[in-house]
Amino acid sequence: MNIVDHTINGSELTLTRTFDAPRELVWKAFTEPELIAKWWGPRGWNTKITTMEVKPGGVWHYCMVGPNGEEAWGLSTYKELNPPAKMIYTDAFCNAEGVINESMPQIDVVMDFIDVDGKTKIVSKSTYATEAELKTVVDMGMLPGITETWDRLAEHLQSV
Amino acid sequence: MDIFSALSEPTRRRILEMLSQTEHLTASEISDKFDVSAAAISQHLKVLREANLVTVEKRAQQRLYKLKPNGMTELESWVNQMTQVWKHRFDRLEQVLEAEKKKL
Repeated sequence: MNIVDHTINGSELTLTRTFDAPRELVWKAFTEPELIAKWWGPRGWNTKITTMEVKPGGVWHYCMVGPNGEEAWGLSTYKELNPPAKMIYTDAFCNAEGVINESMPQIDVVMDFIDVDGKTKIVSKSTYATEAELKTVVDMGMLPGITETWDRLAEHLQSV
Repeated sequence: MDIFSALSEPTRRRILEMLSQTEHLTASEISDKFDVSAAAISQHLKVLREANLVTVEKRAQQRLYKLKPNGMTELESWVNQMTQVWKHRFDRLEQVLEAEKKKL
């Protein structure tokens, strides 16, 4: 059960694993900041979450902080959300401001949560996103999403 | 074109398989095995060359295509890295789910 199965088809990598928990709980573990922070980063690393907007076009901006203070920033953009069954997002490397590092690989991820007698089978399909796909994501409104977040943060800081 | 896009096309994957079973092939030896036009095969070979998956060597009037041995490394290392990252993530997710179940 703790084995991750993987298959490769062209540029698509499929990972499968079954968890002894209902889908609703697994979905929560993916979409609630305080829960995902507990498992997303490598062991010994802490995940700090700047933004988590679980809605189509919304972004999840986070930083994994290593034992020696090293930082790895990531930005996911949700394309499709169908709780508790499916989420589609693009995962990218970025900086503290949420600006994507275009020289690093972008990954399109389709995550299916399948109910198997009360347990949850996760099927994760990752595909390398091309530059053209990245442009589409940006056009779809990811950058306005980030700007909106910074505006809100600025408002919040002024009101404190 | 990058290596992943190059590998996403089935004809190109078959060309790589053919090249892996022999030392080298000419473009016409390759296109003989397919129903598509020689021009289409030549285009696929161009993509494979640009993605660093095959090399071409000119010998007399012939152009010999060869598999580039280290061409797959980029994809393989990505796959290995991703599999490792998710294995660790899923191990920790399992612990989080166990803890959350106790709270229900």
